[in-house]
Amino acid sequence: MEPMPTRIDVWLYGTLKHYGGEAAEGSFANLQPYLPDGSTLAVLLAYLKIPTEARGISFINGQLSAMPGLQPDLGHILRDGDRVALFDLRSMWPFQYRHGARMTEEMTQAMGNEKDSGLHHTYSKK
Amino acid sequence: MWILRLNMTDRTYRLEEVPAAYKNLGGRGLTSTMVHDEVPPLCHPLGANNKLVFAPGIVTGTAASTSARISVGGKSPLTGGIKESNAGSSWAQYLAMMQIKAMVVEGQPREKGKYWIAHLTWDAGAGKPKVEFSPADGYTARDLYEVFPNVYDRFGEGIAIAGCGVAGEYGYANSGIVYNDLAKRPSRYSGRGGLGAVLASKGLKFIVANRKGAPAVPIVDKGLFDQGKKKLDDALRTHAVTKPKGGLNTYGTAVLINIMNEAGGLPTRNFSSGRFEGAAKTGGEAIFEGNKARTNKEVYNHACSPGCIIQCSNTWYRPDGKEHTSCVEYESDWALGANCGIDGLDDIAEMVRLCNAYGLDTIETGTALAVAMEAGVIPFGDGKKAIGLVHEMGKGTPMGRVLGGGTEFTGKAYGIARVPTVKGQSMPAYEPRAVKGIGITYATSTMGADHTAGYTIAPEILSVGGKADPFSTEGKAALSRGFQATTAFIDSTGHCLFIAFPILDIASGFEGMMEECNGVLGTNWKSEDAAKLGAEILRKERAFNEAAGLSKEHDRIPEFMKYEPLPPHNQVYDVPESALDSVYGEL
Repeated sequence: MEPMPTRIDVWLYGTLKHYGGEAAEGSFANLQPYLPDGSTLAVLLAYLKIPTEARGISFINGQLSAMPGLQPDLGHILRDGDRVALFDLRSMWPFQYRHGARMTEEMTQAMGNEKDSGLHHTYSKK
Repeated sequence: MWILRLNMTDRTYRLEEVPAAYKNLGGRGLTSTMVHDEVPPLCHPLGANNKLVFAPGIVTGTAASTSARISVGGKSPLTGGIKESNAGSSWAQYLAMMQIKAMVVEGQPREKGKYWIAHLTWDAGAGKPKVEFSPADGYTARDLYEVFPNVYDRFGEGIAIAGCGVAGEYGYANSGIVYNDLAKRPSRYSGRGGLGAVLASKGLKFIVANRKGAPAVPIVDKGLFDQGKKKLDDALRTHAVTKPKGGLNTYGTAVLINIMNEAGGLPTRNFSSGRFEGAAKTGGEAIFEGNKARTNKEVYNHACSPGCIIQCSNTWYRPDGKEHTSCVEYESDWALGANCGIDGLDDIAEMVRLCNAYGLDTIETGTALAVAMEAGVIPFGDGKKAIGLVHEMGKGTPMGRVLGGGTEFTGKAYGIARVPTVKGQSMPAYEPRAVKGIGITYATSTMGADHTAGYTIAPEILSVGGKADPFSTEGKAALSRGFQATTAFIDSTGHCLFIAFPILDIASGFEGMMEECNGVLGTNWKSEDAAKLGAEILRKERAFNEAAGLSKEHDRIPEFMKYEPLPPHNQVYDVPESALDSVYGEL
């Protein structure tokens, strides 16, 4: 079978490493799956069999794309060579340490729509 | 409560009533006020006129959870400005229980090279603390892991210890003040700013406290205090970051290694990149999984001090399952890891252990090593040679003394331009070019570059979001001002700064913190008073710094960050100076 055209550099941290199958080593998994051209993050998650609620802090190319309870990135279209990093729900990134860090366009909008412009440490409604 | 003064010129002490102006102060609020009021700003930090002020927080020593913090203040040998550095230890609680609101170490012995131990006990007959001085002969010029058991043997099991290591004795500007942890390790540090050298300059090696017989910390309104404690406890126990088996308890603060690396903001090889290819081998997840493999069980973290719910302190184990060191904090892990290009946890842990043994600040040590690596002293990534350099610091060799002088001093010794410091203090583990908000706090903090100077805490700060876009430059500066003020308040309560996580997200937790303070003091502070009280502390710190010669021109990010784009995002630091000036200009 011919390789599909979009190759993603995926980093799965903590307990999410188990979704990386044979790529899991120690505390993380790094794998480079091929996806159909135009695939979204949701397609990648489905490919990896990761329920979206199982992931927490997420990055696409070093830009924050999701936090626990705030996931505006499911429709984000991935490009060939993109780096996607997914953390388990026990990771954290307090606001002051990400204040001014780069975010995806969708995440910037989502933060703006949050209470207090998203000036919180967590967004989980649970 | 008392102000206890130790005069090290003649080794006498006296107890003073707490002045009315200090009655509602504690922790950082009290240390910074007393340094402002008593220390000549132009004094030499290691001279007779500097003073070292220790103060437990407002609720320290009570049943308030996660509140065993001690603040220590003085003029910093590293920055030349005011310094408050705090730590968690039973020593803080013992001081508070012995009714000591602040302890001031002042004067200086005429005899050089002679050190003393101050033994604090409770005089039940007199109903006040007493102090006995004895020579510290045999305790100096030694590894603190060897010395601490000797101190316990001599003074008994029921003690707590504060002191300095050889780094302080050598007068290093990156020496910290050490305290015991719950396992009697010399692992808790007021690390930043060189205050270990100030303690040593007073001829004081250890301050041993035994609270036996001391009464409880007085509480004006017990009902209100208990109500506040319950609210705060509930918040701490339910928030994802602070709850048992939550983020901090599972992965420790080193959970941020992989996060910052993915964000492109993990300073790597002396701040030349924001991403380290070996980061995943050193993160909190790797520590957790590594310990599991080496001990055949899941190892959750422990408390640094009695009464903590969060329990974020980790331990790293050797391949044979025996303890190597505690604790590999995020900042230590990064400074001695990614920032030096080192990806081996065993090497990083060994350097953490050596910093504890010698009395060094792990952050300043790692950043100084990285500058030395940039100078070609040893290659980036060579863990074994880096361990060798830390040993040189412990031995006081000429090379070790250069590094012990701090990051900026090392840069000058080797003619290096890429030196990541503000006001002489090295930056911690968040790259300002990638996380521009924290860069504003680094630049403007009264403490020099300090990641603990600006925590997101107070609900009233949130209103800034309604006035200015918090992601605009103007908004970031306004938020940094609010963050710094509320952080100064929380540093005064005696609570660990990590309670900031639940109390921002859970309003009742914030109320609980204020009610605890009101219960102890009999005050009637509202939530919105936190930032006002914190701003008062910042004004005093700022006034001291200005009188010491640190002006707004020192509120600047290192120049190289303005013209060297940082991979992977290839950003420079472009926050205008006017925004930096507005942080304190509009305080």
